[in-house]
Amino acid sequence: MWDQYNIGLLLVMFSGVIGFVALALETDDLHRLLLLDLVEITALGVIALLGTDLAEALVLPGLTVGIAELLALSQIYITKEGLKERPVRGLNIEVIQKADAPLIISGFLVVYGLVLSGFTGGGVAGLGLVFYFMSRGYKEDINMLEMASGISWAIWIFAFFVFMFLPQYWFIALMGAAVGIVLKVTVKMSLVGTMWGEHRD
Amino acid sequence: MTSIGGIPFYILEFGDELVYFTPYTITLFLLALTFTVLVIISRPEQQVDIAFGGDAYRTKEISVSEMRFRRFMAIACGLATMGAMVTGDIFNFTLFTAMVGITNVGIVAAVKSPHVQDAAYQYGLVSLSATIPLFGGAAVYAATTGSLSMIELMKGVVPAVPLVAKAMLMLGVIGEGMAPFYAAKAEMFRAPGAPYVIMCSLSSLLIFLRVVEIVMLG
Repeated sequence: MWDQYNIGLLLVMFSGVIGFVALALETDDLHRLLLLDLVEITALGVIALLGTDLAEALVLPGLTVGIAELLALSQIYITKEGLKERPVRGLNIEVIQKADAPLIISGFLVVYGLVLSGFTGGGVAGLGLVFYFMSRGYKEDINMLEMASGISWAIWIFAFFVFMFLPQYWFIALMGAAVGIVLKVTVKMSLVGTMWGEHRD
Repeated sequence: MTSIGGIPFYILEFGDELVYFTPYTITLFLLALTFTVLVIISRPEQQVDIAFGGDAYRTKEISVSEMRFRRFMAIACGLATMGAMVTGDIFNFTLFTAMVGITNVGIVAAVKSPHVQDAAYQYGLVSLSATIPLFGGAAVYAATTGSLSMIELMKGVVPAVPLVAKAMLMLGVIGEGMAPFYAAKAEMFRAPGAPYVIMCSLSSLLIFLRVVEIVMLG
């Protein structure tokens, strides 16, 4: 176990060094940002090498912080370079826009995500919604979606308080947390997929 | 049980949240709290430009939206710093430190000047790359000692922390706390809206002070 951990750590560190060398050689700002995102994966690799439940619990916040910094930096890059927003109108592919296939695929993904429940289920269901919005364009009210996301987040937090203070009602808390997180992740992922076109004409 | 920061007055173990106050951490916490309150109640400084060779002068204008954003970022930075001061969990400390890094980017980047934006971007790259040794260090802490709790480290019952984990944690905090250097590079301390920039310096100073304690624990 210890040996495997050492070898894995060595490999991850080595790939991290390769990433940092690339970062040092690269001079273009945008490319450096993309390379950094690549190097960031090695940090998650080091955490994942723990190989326990704890690792899973630590990878998620690590990933979230990484994505938050990446979003902030991309925003600064856009402002810094004075880039204007370009309107995005979904996937411009006739087969996807006209056929029923996207509806069926995204319907399947959403149902499967609901069955999975929890964080993974939210991810799968959200992916289905993103695919649907991308293929058809959208006319949804973003504010409503954000409100749904907020309410489901509140359910999730409430469930955690039940775990802490009223452990005898663990089952209802478990169900509440599962439903809350599946809604939350679904809505957030569909927002990530659609909000880029917020300011389009 | 004694520690480098003195005997803990109070230990709160709530779920997997672990918070403790020693004479050292409570001093740092109160400092962060005081400055956050100052940021909440203070108004941005309006500097005076004097036309050279004449007696004309005018104050610099600060837009309300910019002021609001920077104040929000400064308050968030204060909250993250307070969290980093009192937490008793290594991984929570690294998360709070990373959040201090993000909010410092926000404080610096809110000024709409190309020079400042460029400095903020370069600092953002540094702080993003610093999350790698930061989280990596915390993960090696957990792998070698089997615990992320600073209380356990204090008791001395867990195996010794390898030097490389301490070095990685230190390197990560140095990267996240780089903000004052970039703010100085962009002459942010001379830009209008002074009180918020001070939060950059204060938060990085406090996380440096805290990480010294953490490194000496194990």
